[in-house]
Amino acid sequence: MKILMKSVDMICVSNKDGKISPIKYKFVGKDEQIHIVKINKILERNEERLAGNRMYIYKVMSVINNSKRVYEMKYELATCKWYIYKM
Amino acid sequence: MKKYIFHIDANSAYLSWQAVYDLQHGSNIDLRNIASAIGGDKSKRKGIILAKSLKAKKAGVKTGQPLFEALRACPKLTIVSPNYQLYMACSDEMMSIIQTFSEKVERFSVDECFMELSCKDPLTIAYQLKNTIYKTLGFTVNIGISTNKLLAKMGSELEKPNKVHTLFEDEIMEKMWPLPVNELFMVGRATNKKLRKYGINTIGQLAKTDIEFLSLMMKSHGRLIWHYANGLDSSPVKKDSRKIKGIGNSTTTPFDVDDIRYASLFILSLTEMVALRLRANNMMCHVVHVSYHRASQGGGQGRQRKLITPTDNTNTIYKIAMELFKEIWDEGPIRHFGVRVTMLNTAEIYQKSIFDEKNLEKKRRLNKHIDLLRVKYGSQTIKRASFIESGIKNINGGIHEEYPMMTSLL
Repeated sequence: MKILMKSVDMICVSNKDGKISPIKYKFVGKDEQIHIVKINKILERNEERLAGNRMYIYKVMSVINNSKRVYEMKYELATCKWYIYKM
Repeated sequence: MKKYIFHIDANSAYLSWQAVYDLQHGSNIDLRNIASAIGGDKSKRKGIILAKSLKAKKAGVKTGQPLFEALRACPKLTIVSPNYQLYMACSDEMMSIIQTFSEKVERFSVDECFMELSCKDPLTIAYQLKNTIYKTLGFTVNIGISTNKLLAKMGSELEKPNKVHTLFEDEIMEKMWPLPVNELFMVGRATNKKLRKYGINTIGQLAKTDIEFLSLMMKSHGRLIWHYANGLDSSPVKKDSRKIKGIGNSTTTPFDVDDIRYASLFILSLTEMVALRLRANNMMCHVVHVSYHRASQGGGQGRQRKLITPTDNTNTIYKIAMELFKEIWDEGPIRHFGVRVTMLNTAEIYQKSIFDEKNLEKKRRLNKHIDLLRVKYGSQTIKRASFIESGIKNINGGIHEEYPMMTSLL
């Protein structure tokens, strides 16, 4: 997997316990077209505190171009930003 | 169980914190592995080096050096502007991890602290702590272990980075005494020069020097460093010592200053900030310190004066700063100015004196209202006429550091 760290517009859900789960996101691709990708499954959740900056890391699965892709997304708590981290 | 003191020091703190933050945000360059430094603004040639990588150190880049000098020493140097908010977050997180190991933790500066702990095996604990910090926060620390604060601090400085050292009393001779005398805590540039003049080159030589001689030559400071050279220190680990010890601001000028008018404007603009911060903390100062760095051939000078009565008045501090500056300035071009006040007391109760200026209370009220205006509507709201069309900001210096970068008291 390659590190991308590309920021995206995300729709996510925050449940009663404060657990945040990504649902689907929108980003502008290389072809300058807007792509909408659905998160089909969350495989793993982790938290990191590197440099004192809290981020949630999600290992997720989506169907992109008719094939299943497993990759990682990050959510930065301090800025409320979502990123495609590794793909 | 025996009581041990640990000194925990983040390795090239600002730089490694920035490096970890950048890596977390997908950067493919680790600042720690290239010639890089944190400090100032490269485009304006402004500011000083606050932290540097090991490669930059090898190329001759020094902490505290003006940017243009560092770039001359290492033209390929990557310079990153400081991000104080991030550093405070790193510092707080580091503290919170250390506090899980012991309740008695003293934050000594933004990147170092002392921890007191009674245990059987201090080395295992130190390694655990070092590894926890690295695993959780992504940066390395040095840890020194001993029985007092001075030795613990000297221990953590022995070999960097990412190391644990012990420096117990029976190890002083072997580990500390062979070091050059300027490595000793509280031996700065001026003291080092003096000691070398007397033929004292290593910490060991200092330790064996007659204390009476040092006392005669350097007064109480001589006695203090003699005790330190012998590993003697009895200061306790003070929990939560967030007390401000001094307030200072400094600035690198965008041009070489060789004219008293501009020099006085820079000093005034720094004094405005220092006095504003002093009053914001509801404090008064007893000591005013002014310093400058030369534009060429490096070096500079500083001088301080103790006042009869404490003050928080901008004009008084400025007047003293200018008197001191005139005493030390050799009229050569200057690139960096600094104003600092220390020996702070609360402003709520203060001693009056017959030497006080007239209308002191009135002046304090005026200062208070000027501060209120500047805080509410910005620093440009109200400014002295001398700054008009001078091209110099009427208030200079940032107010980022919440904790002292360096402290001189154990």
